[in-house]
Amino acid sequence: MEKKIKVLIAKPGLDGHDRGAKVVALALKEAGMEVIYTGLHKTIDQIVNIAIQEDVDIIGLSIMSGAHIPLTRKLMEKLREKGIQDKKVFVGGVIPTRDIEKLKEMGVKGVFPGGTPIDEIISAIKEAQKE
Amino acid sequence: MLNERAKILAEKISSGDEITASRVISMIENGEDIGFEVLSAIYPSTGRAFRIGITGSPGSGKSTIIDRLAISYVKIGKKVGIIAIDPTSIKSKGALFGDRLRLKSAEKVEGIFIRSMAHRGFLGGIAKAALGAECVLEALGKEIIIVESVGVGQTELSISLISDVVVTVLTPDFGDEIQLMKANLLDIGDVVVMNKMDLKGAEEKAKDLTTYLYDIKKENLPIIKTIASRGEGIEDLLSILEEKRKKGIGDDKKKLKELVLAFLREELMGNLERLIEEDPQFDELLKKVEKRNLDPYSLAKTILTSFFKNGRAEECIWKKK
Repeated sequence: MEKKIKVLIAKPGLDGHDRGAKVVALALKEAGMEVIYTGLHKTIDQIVNIAIQEDVDIIGLSIMSGAHIPLTRKLMEKLREKGIQDKKVFVGGVIPTRDIEKLKEMGVKGVFPGGTPIDEIISAIKEAQKE
Repeated sequence: MLNERAKILAEKISSGDEITASRVISMIENGEDIGFEVLSAIYPSTGRAFRIGITGSPGSGKSTIIDRLAISYVKIGKKVGIIAIDPTSIKSKGALFGDRLRLKSAEKVEGIFIRSMAHRGFLGGIAKAALGAECVLEALGKEIIIVESVGVGQTELSISLISDVVVTVLTPDFGDEIQLMKANLLDIGDVVVMNKMDLKGAEEKAKDLTTYLYDIKKENLPIIKTIASRGEGIEDLLSILEEKRKKGIGDDKKKLKELVLAFLREELMGNLERLIEEDPQFDELLKKVEKRNLDPYSLAKTILTSFFKNGRAEECIWKKK
């Protein structure tokens, strides 16, 4: 049986806009991946808990609120704390260009500001999985 | 002969390591040998957890019921595991797991382990992977394991093989008796729940269902009425389930036999199908059938004979992964 890529699409914090997240979740499913969408207003702890229980390969944070730096930092810390930093993190949403490098330095594999073509997201995830 | 790695993983699970437990469930889902070796190590100590299968049409409120039920069990001090099975898209072979979203309260409780599982088109139904997950969750310490499945058909039959009790969830818009019989939903149910009792005409429908169950099926199935969204009726469901749990969970020989046959079907048929499809001869012969130079029955016979005569039967067996 071919291994499926398991992706968690998470909405951390107070951000209430999830149409983008849902569009990506559906597109990844159509691309043959197994996707879990967390729903709104999850804490980083809850997201990490879901990532563990579902044994996902990829964690995708969808953040429209501008709080991507602190939220991502907290996630990366938690992943290290739990010993599951092999799970690859992607961040998407309202991300200013100047923050992309900062996020990558934290260990994020890819950043997808709003408007990134879905195909690019799918390729990036597949590439990251190959590592 | 169990290898060291499998033993270590089994020990980790027994000591409550959720990360390992989750990884081992993935190994079983992916058909990796190590996963089954860990299962061999933990299987002897399983058999005490109470496994509840929840089935019913999409939209009947299964997830809401499970959410409430799980919390009720936690309140009486039980550790709970939930396996939520979602269908895999046949076209894309991907899946979008939506059950967690509806398990709003259960999700917040740290002691409840929730695992989504894709159907992945397993020929033997979902039984193989789900049974593995059940064993792992039991080894992790879960005493109550709830398995939620989707819709009707093969999946439902499989769920009955890996559950100690099956709860079938219906709503007042279930249609008529013929639909029920066709749907097989009641064939495997031990407990029947009529949810959404707040809908118009619900009491009437509940009466119809009762009549159907007693008169036509000649069975004494308890019907629990619920409005899961309000938490009503859940205590009644819990009572009935607890009654059954306390009566004792015996291992049903017939079920076990069916289960093993399901595994075999999956393994042999899955491999056979794949091998035949990869065989260029198959395509040639299919074209003949298209042109009506050969009938489908003869084609099947030809393939099987040439296949087994050419000594390829061994390729149908469990491959080491």
